[in-house]
Amino acid sequence: MSRVASFDAVRAKVAAMSACRGGAGKAALSFGDHRLDQVFPAGGLPLGCWHELGGEGLEIETAAAAGAFAAVLAKPLASRGAVVWVSRRDDLYAPGLAGLGFPAERLIQVQARDEAQVLAALEDALGSAGVAAAIGEAEAVDLTAGRRLQLACERRGATGLLIRRRMFGAPARKTAPGVLLGAATGSAAATRWTVASAPSEPAPGMPGLGASRWRVDLKRCRGGRPGSWILEMNIGDMNDGAYPLRVVTQLGDRQLEAAQSRNLADGDAPPRRRAG
Amino acid sequence: MNGAAAALGLFVGQKATDADALVPELAVADAEPAADAAALTALADWCARFSPAVALDPPDGLFLDISGVAHLWGGEAAMARDLIMRLGRNGIPARAAVAGGPGAAWALARFAQAGAILASGGEAARLAPLPAAALRLAPAEAAQIARLGLSTIGALGVLPRDQITRRFGPGVVLRLDQALGEAREALTYRRPPNPWFTRLAFAEPISAPEDMARVTADITARLCARLESEGQGGRRFELCFHRLDGVTQSLVIGLALPGRETGAIVRLFAPKLDTVDPGFGIEVVTLAVEGVQPLGARQERLDEDRDVMPEEGVAPLVDRLTNRLGEAAVWRAEAFPSHDPERAVARKPPLSPMIGSPALGSPVLGEGWDPERPRPLRLLRRPEPIEAMALVPDDPPASFRWRGVLHRVRRAEGPERLAEEWWRRPFEDAEPGRARDYYRVEDEAGGRFWLFRDGLYQAGAGPKWWLHGLFG
Repeated sequence: MSRVASFDAVRAKVAAMSACRGGAGKAALSFGDHRLDQVFPAGGLPLGCWHELGGEGLEIETAAAAGAFAAVLAKPLASRGAVVWVSRRDDLYAPGLAGLGFPAERLIQVQARDEAQVLAALEDALGSAGVAAAIGEAEAVDLTAGRRLQLACERRGATGLLIRRRMFGAPARKTAPGVLLGAATGSAAATRWTVASAPSEPAPGMPGLGASRWRVDLKRCRGGRPGSWILEMNIGDMNDGAYPLRVVTQLGDRQLEAAQSRNLADGDAPPRRRAG
Repeated sequence: MNGAAAALGLFVGQKATDADALVPELAVADAEPAADAAALTALADWCARFSPAVALDPPDGLFLDISGVAHLWGGEAAMARDLIMRLGRNGIPARAAVAGGPGAAWALARFAQAGAILASGGEAARLAPLPAAALRLAPAEAAQIARLGLSTIGALGVLPRDQITRRFGPGVVLRLDQALGEAREALTYRRPPNPWFTRLAFAEPISAPEDMARVTADITARLCARLESEGQGGRRFELCFHRLDGVTQSLVIGLALPGRETGAIVRLFAPKLDTVDPGFGIEVVTLAVEGVQPLGARQERLDEDRDVMPEEGVAPLVDRLTNRLGEAAVWRAEAFPSHDPERAVARKPPLSPMIGSPALGSPVLGEGWDPERPRPLRLLRRPEPIEAMALVPDDPPASFRWRGVLHRVRRAEGPERLAEEWWRRPFEDAEPGRARDYYRVEDEAGGRFWLFRDGLYQAGAGPKWWLHGLFG
């Protein structure tokens, strides 16, 4: 009897602990689209934890698409406090950030000399009052560093975005070619994404390039489901409270399929496909 | 006038012809007041090794404020001895006296036996037998006093003050009070003393890292308590470790906003303490604050509000990062009015006031970057050469190879011609025509790049293509 009671107590404690890390009831950042929000247990990108963004191919070294996506994700957070961007390179270009609608004047850029300094500065920034989000560029985050980042996020509810990026010309770290950088390692990140640029579609009859598009794969999501989407930057109203991203296409996902058919039965499912 | 001349009975102020008559073999040199003043100034600067507060007393005196420094020499007497000995070694005959005030010290140094030490409170008794000239009086006043037969300070001191004032003028009373320590006197120090300075001296030299950490905390707490009691905060803290062998090592930290929080400042010093080599031991630690400005007391907030004040959250973070990574490694980008992509961004200290800050209303036209001109998220520090295939010289390339990967261009936008800022070059080098035609292109996979063709099209020479940025 007492053993059962103590077991229940432990279970309750575990539930409470997991709830405080990216679980339900936590602050979340809605994408403004049901198709994207529903995969997260909190109904949007969970805040107060850190997320991992990565790329493939040349993107491992340039991290341009992941960087742009991180800036767009962090854009709504910039109104709540400062945003810190820690990198080993200084190739982040503020006019480009401004072009993505990110308020560059809220951004504190930090250039670190090595990987350890990036993670230390990121952790420091996440644990500081007045910092709403911190973005770091690092090659790998081991489990210990990941836990430290998570604890720093929980201290003040800041959100971390870690862009996996290898220095140009640096040897790869024990990853086979074609495999996402360090994908196999365990990680304390709440979500893990792969971001790649996707061809843009200008409005019919318009020359040049359309709004930036990304192919975004949510590879792992604690308490949620993975998924793939083509997202486009919402450029119509850049500075008001509109959601920064628009779902262009939802790419096939079997788990999602089942969930959506259930939703269809409820009658509140959005159209699955738009012209893309 | 040197000691030999004094021994022959010559005195300052004597006419050169009279002196020549007394001592025919006298060597006479012209007085050089300017050179004397310069030498005295140089001597005052040298005396800074004894005390930072040195005041000039022309034509031939120096005041050293030795409050709180005498113990370094093992007491006031030993310090005076050391000073005289060092001066003597340099060929400068000197007399020194230590007293509670400049007036008494002046009198003792000139009219008492060498090396006189006078504790505060004993001025009246000690100065009484000295002549009235020891009061730093103007020659006319001294002559008048001597004419009336008041040969000593004691004789002058017993007179009623109003009589002295009536007979000799108010200056005499003031000098008398200053000599007796009854009136305060302000000295003009050669080097303005930094009032925000404190020091800790140790009976035993320290060298253990934990001792140094504790000493840092102690001295910071001491100065911060003073800053707080006077409602001030500092921007720059310099901690100096003075080693036994005379080597001084200093650590400097800067704050983004004026501060006086002991814990925060000690934490900034802590990682730098490793760089201090204690050698045979550190005997004195000093801490000086610069950039002191008023800083109001702050009420700790009771509610966990969302919008925290910058001095609570971001400023300490900026301080930590700046002190760990260097001042150039933490910045905020600000628009610079230049169309040259490399120059369009200016790095500003993160907490410097913003020009177009939202609090001051919307940014004025001309500030910020032009939203109509798309700029890449990643700007390569140096444009990288690419092998581009363009069908027509004026067209964007149909495909290009960058870092070994072939990209087929699907869509392109441009050109945007950016010319060199010829006005920044020396006049003789100025020439027109250096221009870059920038294109924004998208390859089949969706990658968006910022390419440019260098220079205008010239028949014969193939155009040079470069990749300058990535949009992502």
